[in-house]
Amino acid sequence: MRSFGKKAAAAASRAAQAVVNPTPQVIPAEMFRVVGFESGSSTEGLRPVVSYWSDAWRRFRKNPVAMASLVVLGFFAVMVVIGPNIRGLDYMSKNTAYINAEPDAQFWFGADALGRDLFSRIWVGARVSLIVAIACSAIQMIVGSLYGGVMAYFGGVVDEVMMRIIEVVNSIPGLLVMLLVMMVLGNSMWALLVAMCITSWVGTAREMRGIIKQLRETDYVAAARCLGMRPLKIIVRHLIPNTLSILLLDLFMSIPSYIFSEASLSFLGLGLKTPAISLGTLISDAQAVMELYPFELFYPSLVLCLIVLAFNLFGDGLRDALDPRMRR
Amino acid sequence: MRPVARCRRLPGEGDVLITYAIKRFIMMLATLFVVASMTFFLLAAVPGDALTERTARLPEDVAARIYERYGLDKPVFERYLITMNGILHGDFGESIVHQGQTIPKVLAEKGPVSAQLGIQQVIVGVGVGLILGVIAQLRHGTWIDYLTITVSILLVSVPTMVFALLIQQVFAGNLGLFPVIGWDAGDLSYSVLPTLAGSFAYIASYARLAKASLADVTGQDYVLAAEARGLSSRQVVVRHMLRNAAIPVVTQLPMTVAMCLTGSFFIESIFSIPGVGQYYVQAVSDRDVTMVMGFTVIIAALYIVTIFVTDILYHIVDPRIRLATGSASE
Repeated sequence: MRSFGKKAAAAASRAAQAVVNPTPQVIPAEMFRVVGFESGSSTEGLRPVVSYWSDAWRRFRKNPVAMASLVVLGFFAVMVVIGPNIRGLDYMSKNTAYINAEPDAQFWFGADALGRDLFSRIWVGARVSLIVAIACSAIQMIVGSLYGGVMAYFGGVVDEVMMRIIEVVNSIPGLLVMLLVMMVLGNSMWALLVAMCITSWVGTAREMRGIIKQLRETDYVAAARCLGMRPLKIIVRHLIPNTLSILLLDLFMSIPSYIFSEASLSFLGLGLKTPAISLGTLISDAQAVMELYPFELFYPSLVLCLIVLAFNLFGDGLRDALDPRMRR
Repeated sequence: MRPVARCRRLPGEGDVLITYAIKRFIMMLATLFVVASMTFFLLAAVPGDALTERTARLPEDVAARIYERYGLDKPVFERYLITMNGILHGDFGESIVHQGQTIPKVLAEKGPVSAQLGIQQVIVGVGVGLILGVIAQLRHGTWIDYLTITVSILLVSVPTMVFALLIQQVFAGNLGLFPVIGWDAGDLSYSVLPTLAGSFAYIASYARLAKASLADVTGQDYVLAAEARGLSSRQVVVRHMLRNAAIPVVTQLPMTVAMCLTGSFFIESIFSIPGVGQYYVQAVSDRDVTMVMGFTVIIAALYIVTIFVTDILYHIVDPRIRLATGSASE
């Protein structure tokens, strides 16, 4: 940019010389005439300014599938908070009278092998699964964008070295690392968070590095820099808003995969373990009695699939609404 | 009909590719080393291995002798050197749970099972997925298109294990058409349900991939030019669109094959198939450190070598990706 500034300055001084050297010719003010300008009229007829986010929301609202998935997600969000208390039943301690009770008026989704209300347990499990998934996605976004941001900001050797680290992490099979980390740290929620995030941030870091590098070269960032805007303000005003939509999209796209990973790991007995409740442990517990009491497998699986489906459809809708490349 | 012109390489470009390949090869070796080291130290940090339980009630000198037998009495760093040296010579040590079991023995016994299952899954899954994706894009906007999109979104939203349990319950349990669990190398009926269950994830992702990459080439100038030259729509699709749309698919395929060969962990566990995946999960549960170490290194090596080969192939297949010296990472 500095070289551009020098060139521009040189060009300007040359132009100034060209004007100064011949005999100065002054045009008197009375030769100018106002041709139809009234104050205030310049903004007339323009459409109201539509911000990026309200534009995105407008398009999102027009998409019935996306709106439906938003409603479903809202329903699940409410249910994981109040769901366990709706029936007012004890879902933690063993109750021999109701072992494997079929679904009825008292136990809406039946009771499990220890006679505990499955309806309440499913919502507790969904709560845990959602918290794990959202926490992992958030960690992925934060670590990834910080790492990518540092790479793009410093460039050069730092960029090169950090890129090599990404390549190493990227070429390790994720499932193996997850299993290894769970083996080392034991079956706790924290271990699960570490295990699921340890390789996933790489994709976000790569993406953020690319975007920020690209944004730095855009004309409006160059203009902001020429106008003397401070780096911090450029980051706040230009870089963050322009990467936010992509991050948001990634966030909602990665949540379903984390829900899957948690359920799968717990299912193999390498994620959360009973007495911890999650959708994975519920499905894993139900597998043992699947042939006799299929409802115990059916309801947790159904809730799991519906949550993931809603997130997938919501993510698709969000992409159509947010991605400027999709605009016609 | 004139043959489709190949893009000629610029002079000196082959050298760039060779330099790049050498760079990537060194990188690959470094990655393998890092993965092996990391795995070793992670496993060394595991609180209590399989021997802890076995030796808990034994007198101390017997316990010490058992530890000595597996070389686990030595300090960590010495063990690290021994392990790494062993890996270099293809010796991964002996299982500390099952006496006399070594990696080559397990691989010879369980490898073919996993490989057969994996290849069946990939053939069914990728084949059906590609056909669905291509048809959906060629009949863009019709009911076939919408049906494919809907089905693939539904399939993506059902975890493999739930799907596997479901078809196990319905086709083996209720209808009794196939064996519920187990494996028989000579009897294909055992592999039908696991293949079906495992292939659905591939169907969904490859249908999406095929549709997206075909959609990418649809608006391209060379397609327009081919149409303008008066080629039949069949020729345009086969000669120009499918050929170019195949690039992302071809580069994705080796990864899929590499992963499927190493066993489908969930499918093998659910259907009790004696494959590598199930063995690995069992070894992790048992804290059988030597076997976990060996299999992690082997699976990671397969994965890393595949990435390397794919990357080089990618640059040979698609001449549009030019390698500029100095900025290989973009």
